[in-house]
Amino acid sequence: MHVADPLEGHTSKTVDQALHELRTHAVEMGGLVIDQVGSAVRALLERDGRLAGVVLSREPQVNDYESRIDRESLTFIALHQPVASDLRTARAISRAALELERVGDESKKIARFAAKVGAVAPHDPVSAVARSLRHMATLSTAMLRGAVRALDEANPALARDVLDRDRDLDEEFAAALRQVMSFVMEDQQFLRATVDTVFALKGLERIGDHAKNISEQVLYMVEGERPRKTPKGG
Amino acid sequence: MQGEPSAQKSDTPSLSVVLEDRKTARANPPKANAEKLNFWYGTNQALKNINLVIPEHQVTALIGPSGCGKSTFLRCFNRMHDLQPDTKYDGAITLRPDNVNLVGPETDPIEVRMRIGMVFQKPNPFPKTVFDNVAYGLRLRGVTNRTALAERVEKALRGAAIWDEVKDRLNDSALALSGGQMQRLCIARALATEPEILLFDEPTSALDPIATAKIEELITELRQRVTVLIVTHNMQQAARVSDFTAFMYLGELVEVDTTSKIFTNPSKKATEDYITGRYG
Repeated sequence: MHVADPLEGHTSKTVDQALHELRTHAVEMGGLVIDQVGSAVRALLERDGRLAGVVLSREPQVNDYESRIDRESLTFIALHQPVASDLRTARAISRAALELERVGDESKKIARFAAKVGAVAPHDPVSAVARSLRHMATLSTAMLRGAVRALDEANPALARDVLDRDRDLDEEFAAALRQVMSFVMEDQQFLRATVDTVFALKGLERIGDHAKNISEQVLYMVEGERPRKTPKGG
Repeated sequence: MQGEPSAQKSDTPSLSVVLEDRKTARANPPKANAEKLNFWYGTNQALKNINLVIPEHQVTALIGPSGCGKSTFLRCFNRMHDLQPDTKYDGAITLRPDNVNLVGPETDPIEVRMRIGMVFQKPNPFPKTVFDNVAYGLRLRGVTNRTALAERVEKALRGAAIWDEVKDRLNDSALALSGGQMQRLCIARALATEPEILLFDEPTSALDPIATAKIEELITELRQRVTVLIVTHNMQQAARVSDFTAFMYLGELVEVDTTSKIFTNPSKKATEDYITGRYG
């Protein structure tokens, strides 16, 4: 069965086209940002300075996407004076781009840490929470992927699924913090790296929040009602 | 919501309260009620069972594609259709507080037009002086005292935000004014007789953006003194000036709600399609 694209059907095809372009750029930006998160965490876990450099070098592209989407959505509003679902779509995409840009910032911070962390030591904090870092990266990128797909498909079920998954990420973050606490009580040799590791874990937890915010935008875009703010970890 | 804006509110409001109302979308008590209103041009039924509450001292906008019946509905309020042969009303438009049925056969259309003013698409001043245009309706009602006339003309011209522009030209021909000034003069002419409802039928479609902005600002202010019903094809205008918006299609009232609700998240797909330009 052919499902009509909610962005289509305007008498003025330039409106269809402008909305398509906005959405396409947001989805492209989402793809880039998801890769940034995965690469930054891989660079950290594998102590791959070159890969960390790649992430840092691509950060301006993320910012460019955000500026471009912001400019395009403003132009769309100025030229077409959208209302109802069209207005909600332009706003949701613009705000999603802002969330993605912040995810890009978190990736950048993790990559900076990866670039300076050095070779694996027998008992360093990154190794101590490697499993959690890997798991949190998997969870947060899956949430991001779900949020971007929900935006692309205007799919509220996918968006709700992302909201539901935030609890897992928060629980993993809490567990990782406990590991770091145990680690630091046993060995204060790596205090600076321990702090950076906590920031990396916190960054991944924040990425889940950004995915959640994008999903809430999608729900408002599709349903026209603001979803009730879910409590932290709820 | 079918035909009835939400909660009720009493006192005559200040402008700040009115503007706050637009955000919180409270409806004043009804000034008029259309109830099961049907209308025919010959055998062609142009309005089908319209039920709509017009809240007092607020602006209600009627939107919809050409031929949907919005102007027909507007013109029922001051019995304009009576000037055309072979037309028929059924149902009622009840005007508060005395509950007179505006479209009832027992109601004198001249009496109706005394209480319901109208401003048309194209400014239509009489080929008379500025003063005589505004004084026209007053004289018809027997106001002959020159001082009283002058006072009420000035009040109406001030009310239509044109006094400062014409106070030194009161004896000039109204036809010498600009389009925007002519339209505000027509609003002053309508205001002079202190109507209870003011009908606007596409009041700015013949005006430039500056003149349009002045009329829109005026409508926003007028709601403090009079209940306003406006037909417009310009949806941004409906969004800017109205408290409530009603969408009509094929002679039926599809949806009415607060303007902010209609333009952010309408309940009916037909409304959504129309306001987002997916209609036709």
